[in-house]
Amino acid sequence: MKKSKFSLLLILTLVFSLFLTACSGGKDNTEGEKPADKDDATGEEVANVPQELRMLDSSEIPTMDTVLAEGSTSFTYINNVGEGLYRLDQDHKPVPALADGAPEISDDQKVYTFKLKDSKWSNGEPVTAHDFVFAWRRAIDPATASPYGPYMMGGKIKGAAEITEAGAAKKDYNLEDLGVKALDDKTLEVTLEKPVVYWEDLFAFPTFYPQNEKFVTEKGDAFASNAENLLYNGPFKMEKWEGTDATEWVLVKNPEYHSADDVTLEKITVNVVKDSNSAVNAFEAGETDMTGLLSSDIVPSYEGDDRMLRWNDPVVFWIKMNQKNEALANVNIRKAIAMGFNKEDLANSILNNGSVAANYFVPKDFVTGPNGEDFREKHGDLIVFNAEEAKKHWEQGLKELGVDKLEIRYLGGDTEAAKKTDAYIKNQLETNLPGLTVKLESVPFAVRLERDNAMDYDLQFAGWGPDYGNALSFTDLWITDGGSNRMGYSNKKYDELIKAAQGELATDPEKNWEAQQEAERIMLEEDAGLAPVYQRANNILLNPAVKGLAIYNYGPDYSFQWVKITEAE
Amino acid sequence: MAKYLLKRVLYMFLTLFIIASLTFFLMKIIPGTPFASANKLGPAQMEIMKAKYGLDQPVPVQYAIYIGNLLKGDLGISFQFNNTPVTDLMFKRLGPSMQLGAQAMLLGTIVGILLGIFAALRQNTWVDYSSTFVAVLGKSIPNFVFAGLLQYFVGVKLGWFPVLFWRGFEYTILPTIALSMLPIAIAARFMRTEMIEVLSSDYITLAKAKGASFFEIAFKHALRNALIPLVTVLGPLAISLMTGSLVIEKIFAIPGLGEQFVKSITVNDYPVIMGTTILFAALFVVIILVVDILYGIIDPRIRLSGGNK
Amino acid sequence: MADFEPKISKDRFRPAEIDASKSEEINKPSLTFWQDAWMRVRKNKGALFSLIVMGIVVILALVGPLISGKEFDKQNVSHNNLPPKIQGLEHISWLPFDGVKVNKAGKEIDMYEVKKVDEYYWFGTDALGRDLFTRVWKGTQISLYIALLAATIDMIIGVAYGSISGYFGGRLDNVMQRITEILVGIPTMIVVILMILVLDPGIISITIALTITGWVGMARVVRAQTLKLKEQEFVLASKTLGNSDGKIISKHLLPNLAGVIIINTMFTIPNAVFFEAFLSFIGLGLQEPYASLGTLIDEGFKVLRLHPHEMIIPAVVISIIMITFNMLADGLRDALDPKMRD
Repeated sequence: MKKSKFSLLLILTLVFSLFLTACSGGKDNTEGEKPADKDDATGEEVANVPQELRMLDSSEIPTMDTVLAEGSTSFTYINNVGEGLYRLDQDHKPVPALADGAPEISDDQKVYTFKLKDSKWSNGEPVTAHDFVFAWRRAIDPATASPYGPYMMGGKIKGAAEITEAGAAKKDYNLEDLGVKALDDKTLEVTLEKPVVYWEDLFAFPTFYPQNEKFVTEKGDAFASNAENLLYNGPFKMEKWEGTDATEWVLVKNPEYHSADDVTLEKITVNVVKDSNSAVNAFEAGETDMTGLLSSDIVPSYEGDDRMLRWNDPVVFWIKMNQKNEALANVNIRKAIAMGFNKEDLANSILNNGSVAANYFVPKDFVTGPNGEDFREKHGDLIVFNAEEAKKHWEQGLKELGVDKLEIRYLGGDTEAAKKTDAYIKNQLETNLPGLTVKLESVPFAVRLERDNAMDYDLQFAGWGPDYGNALSFTDLWITDGGSNRMGYSNKKYDELIKAAQGELATDPEKNWEAQQEAERIMLEEDAGLAPVYQRANNILLNPAVKGLAIYNYGPDYSFQWVKITEAE
Repeated sequence: MAKYLLKRVLYMFLTLFIIASLTFFLMKIIPGTPFASANKLGPAQMEIMKAKYGLDQPVPVQYAIYIGNLLKGDLGISFQFNNTPVTDLMFKRLGPSMQLGAQAMLLGTIVGILLGIFAALRQNTWVDYSSTFVAVLGKSIPNFVFAGLLQYFVGVKLGWFPVLFWRGFEYTILPTIALSMLPIAIAARFMRTEMIEVLSSDYITLAKAKGASFFEIAFKHALRNALIPLVTVLGPLAISLMTGSLVIEKIFAIPGLGEQFVKSITVNDYPVIMGTTILFAALFVVIILVVDILYGIIDPRIRLSGGNK
Repeated sequence: MADFEPKISKDRFRPAEIDASKSEEINKPSLTFWQDAWMRVRKNKGALFSLIVMGIVVILALVGPLISGKEFDKQNVSHNNLPPKIQGLEHISWLPFDGVKVNKAGKEIDMYEVKKVDEYYWFGTDALGRDLFTRVWKGTQISLYIALLAATIDMIIGVAYGSISGYFGGRLDNVMQRITEILVGIPTMIVVILMILVLDPGIISITIALTITGWVGMARVVRAQTLKLKEQEFVLASKTLGNSDGKIISKHLLPNLAGVIIINTMFTIPNAVFFEAFLSFIGLGLQEPYASLGTLIDEGFKVLRLHPHEMIIPAVVISIIMITFNMLADGLRDALDPKMRD
């Protein structure tokens, strides 16, 4: 009884405050009238509504410098105020942006020649091929010490890895060795180390955006330190951003953008709210149209509410099993652990936020193959919960090791629901695998990363999200001594398949696809090299009047380019 | 007195130097990586990143550089916020934290003292018990629960005050109330005890007999007596409130120092940790000195400068 | 006063017999310090009531986990997040023990029927379907231990440090105060994170972490109060009479410090209880499946709107402990105060 009255009150408050803000927005923004008239042509539903989005983000922007950016918050705003050769469209497909149509590609698929569109920086200067060369060299330059530059370029852009090696060894290096050249102001030639299947994604990634050399050098250390010390060439520009520690910033439409006519939204106001509960309170009080990601504890109370937006994020959480550990080097022990806990219950009853149990490590709803099928169509579930099977493997494994009990350390995860998840998995494993003692070690994120790096763990709860739209973003993790393997998994067959997918099969989408699917099957079904747990679902609260928000799986989180504010229902 | 002050100021710098040095070396053995993308960096890139922040040097060299810069007032640049000087980060965030802390201290001390006085005057009655109840609840219910409830019921449900953000005085009301629970509890409890003690002492009987008003007894005699423990506890508390509260700042989305400091510890942002520690310690030793001097003013019998011979 | 009373006969006015042997006699019954204190605590109804309630809580903490018939770490996911339901109380509609939850639309749902549960969970269950009654009392055991530990550390280290520093003053005071400044100056969180390196999580780590940092506040308050007291006449008198410093501190200063010591303990205890919750969070305190009142409140707060019982019950328990402790302490303080003896 109380609650129903209460929710009525909430709705009233929400409607009332929307009404209020609508009024005040119209009053103090006289300019708001003009675009509204103009938008009559594009869609009548946006007729008299101020095109302003008020949203919350859960962290500050650590940097707006495209070459130094390493997190999705940075990528999101860089993507909305900047542009590269390609850009992700509304349907999440990379499409030519600054590139004037598709590039000319050499026969060996290593040299790409791009023609550039006419476009301008916000200071009026044209965007040229030299801007790309400058930015890319800056990104790989050891003096810049960018985290993502070498990560995205190494092994892909010609010469990148060598520059990093030389820099680390404090030897001389020549930035001109990087495979990027300006043939003239409007022509850019990129040379790859080897063919890359997902090259369009690569060139859409913020690390590969251009930078105006004159502006960057002139500003020196002050470059990208606030809204005034930045140049923009994207659909929006920053009107207010006082620096990396600012908790409020404003984006406005960029009239100089080459497709400015397609951008309806006039203004985006962002505030940082780090507490998920507070964000929900702000939303309920009508202070904002959009929250950051909701913590899983809040989600059940909005189940079925049309203000909650949910999507499957291609982020998979799994238990890494350190195969340098004697017991975990045994395939039966690994199988027992990977099959020994009920993931369905975990996802449905404990997380209860739309996350799904994962019996795979390449997520679903992530990539579509040449045949138009999702990656998961062929081998859906590769390793499922089965207490009996798990017990059989466990006993077999113990016999092979010649012991009757085991103590295994478990390095705790860093998700919001980590404590519950860890306690649940510990209990499940100990119940289903007699003789097993799981020793929980929950540590802060920074410590977990370091111990991952040093491989100082037995089991580790961790997650991974992709950086480009290809299954390789996941499958290349587990090649022997791969940079992010860090659990000692090694299988010759696996290595061969993935090396082929990265190399000679790069030009053969179908075989490439199959090779990766087979590799995943080997890794999980045969070797149980990893114990997948769940694939995350994301939930936000969004004012239903906001339409056309593009949500991305990798790189930036959202694009506001196509957002329209319609009349509140 | 002047000599004593000079000596204390010298000690202050020594103390700060020891704190700065100890924190520096603790930083060196603290586990965890300062790089957010550490799971993606190759060994070569890791080397380059370390070199950028001077982490590739031997520890004594790093220490010498650090102390040298410190003397120049340079606290380095933050790791998590790219290329932003630590001093900028700190002083921008200090303003809101200071204001909030000061308001909460003011409100808390006044309310607390009044609560304590009433409790003492009506000792062992329902007034006393409910004052104790309020004070104890203020301390035993964690801050985040109280702040969360306040935000939800007073902000969202009743709509009396803004729910969150930091845009003007009305936005400070809810966080101030939430933060003042601790000073209220402390002031009320100390005040009650001292008041009861004073009320039973001979000079109050005399003052009463001479016809001193209730007001005079409470504020002239009892308050003065309660001041010694109050300034001892509230002095340092003021500093810790004014340098920011993680919980309150997070819940009410206030751009303050507390949230930034705790985050810098969890992500191993060494320069920010060091800078904030030194700032906090400096404020703290200053307030301790002030409190020590206040003792002599409150109670002229207290002499700190001399020994007990 | 001015009234003259003529009815008193003159023979009632006699010179007192001066008996040298009786001048030393004590008229009141001979009571030890503690007997006297106890007598006065008994007269204070609030304190007596608190004592009884506290006794009940302590007994429940000890026997609670045994009488529930359930284990504190037994998970049953299909029974998770059940509201409280108690036999006998379930039909009293205004009590929240009927196993009914109000959903978002305002409809009352009997969760026990929905989930087809026949058992009674007196305090409900948590997200993993563990019995909260057992967990709350198990947690109370741990939190009481922490409270006791924190109070002891305060009493021993804090009081001794503060009174010595204040009483002797001068250079010793100076050195001792600079040491506490350094201890406070270094962020506790860093010290604690460092301890992850050397210690295994658990009760011992909590004890050590508390010992390092927990007593500084007490030391400062005690020192301040000592500074004030040591200049007073009775200390001077005692000194003139040739009493040793140790005796002056323990016999004359400490009883006068009882007030501030007790108040300060009241602040130390909840600090310690939530400090423990923080330690568990960063991996140094108790690890799952163990819980304390602090961690239960932390966890429960996240789901407060959905499953209010998961936070309210532990919060009520800790509040009861703290309030009764304070009322009792107030009574005890009044009883111990040397100035208030009659």
